[in-house]
Amino acid sequence: MGLQNAINGIPLEWYLIVAAALFSIGLYGVLARKNAVAMLMGVELMLNSVNLNLLAFWRYLAPESAAGLAFAAFVFVVAAAETAVGLALIIAVYRSLKSVDPETLTQLKL
Amino acid sequence: MTLQQVIFIILAIAVIGSALFVVTTSNLFRGALMLIVAFFGVAGFYVLLDNGLFAVAQVMIYIGAISILIIFSVMLTRGMQAMIPRNAQAGSVAIAAALLFLILLLAFGPFRLVVDLSGVPILSALFRTESARVLGGVPWQFANREVPETYIADFGRALVDLNQFLLPFLLVAFLVDAVLAGAIYIARQRKPAEVIAEREAIAKEEAEELAALQPQPTAPTLPQGAIASTADH
Repeated sequence: MGLQNAINGIPLEWYLIVAAALFSIGLYGVLARKNAVAMLMGVELMLNSVNLNLLAFWRYLAPESAAGLAFAAFVFVVAAAETAVGLALIIAVYRSLKSVDPETLTQLKL
Repeated sequence: MTLQQVIFIILAIAVIGSALFVVTTSNLFRGALMLIVAFFGVAGFYVLLDNGLFAVAQVMIYIGAISILIIFSVMLTRGMQAMIPRNAQAGSVAIAAALLFLILLLAFGPFRLVVDLSGVPILSALFRTESARVLGGVPWQFANREVPETYIADFGRALVDLNQFLLPFLLVAFLVDAVLAGAIYIARQRKPAEVIAEREAIAKEEAEELAALQPQPTAPTLPQGAIASTADH
């Protein structure tokens, strides 16, 4: 368990387990939901779990390096950008098709 | 058990419970509210990781901006509320997600299951020999150090340092710029005349489709057959 490497009494593995659970839940949300907005929520959960992993490894393995923080910050920015464009697309699709079910978006199918 | 461990377990239960609620509920609005709980829990983890900067950033960006955007789009797509929440592949996806969690748990959890890939034909070629034992086999080099007092200043300097993260920083800035313009362009309100013209076109198309469908149900085969049989007499 590596308690000698624990910070604040918490071993690194605890964070990894929580992040793994969050990622799996988010993956299920992305693949199993019928609503595009709910799929985006799943993506947000996955991005959060990735950030949790990045910052946990930063704290336990390299707290004086800025690399972990920089990567986490880029994930933040990309998540915000992805949400903005994704929700704009969903709103635009809903306006023209009156549906946000990805299975109805077959206009580009041959 | 220390106080931090108790806080960690409470946060973990809150995060995972609310995340499970988010992906299973049929009421999307409540799901969006529980998503905020999950984001708050992750911010709590950042505090436990001695990273106040990212805890505040998490609250500001995820809860202040992304959650609000999601709640707005849930309310703007209100017509989709009565829909079945899960699609046909939900069952197999649930099994796949549970398997993924199990693999991650075995590899990086307390068990540190070592999988030796050096004997596997294709995978061993992908990894160098010393890193062929990937899953759980690479020992972590724990730093066992405190976070430096100046970590925020160091982070800020690293972002604008040419030798560190200046290029990705500029790329991300460009991305945000493009996203601002793109989101406004995609979701813009078009001129009423355009919308009316489009709606008229759609209505015309629908009327044509309806007209094309009309003769089939109104001309069943039975009367013709009846007429034919009466003609035989």
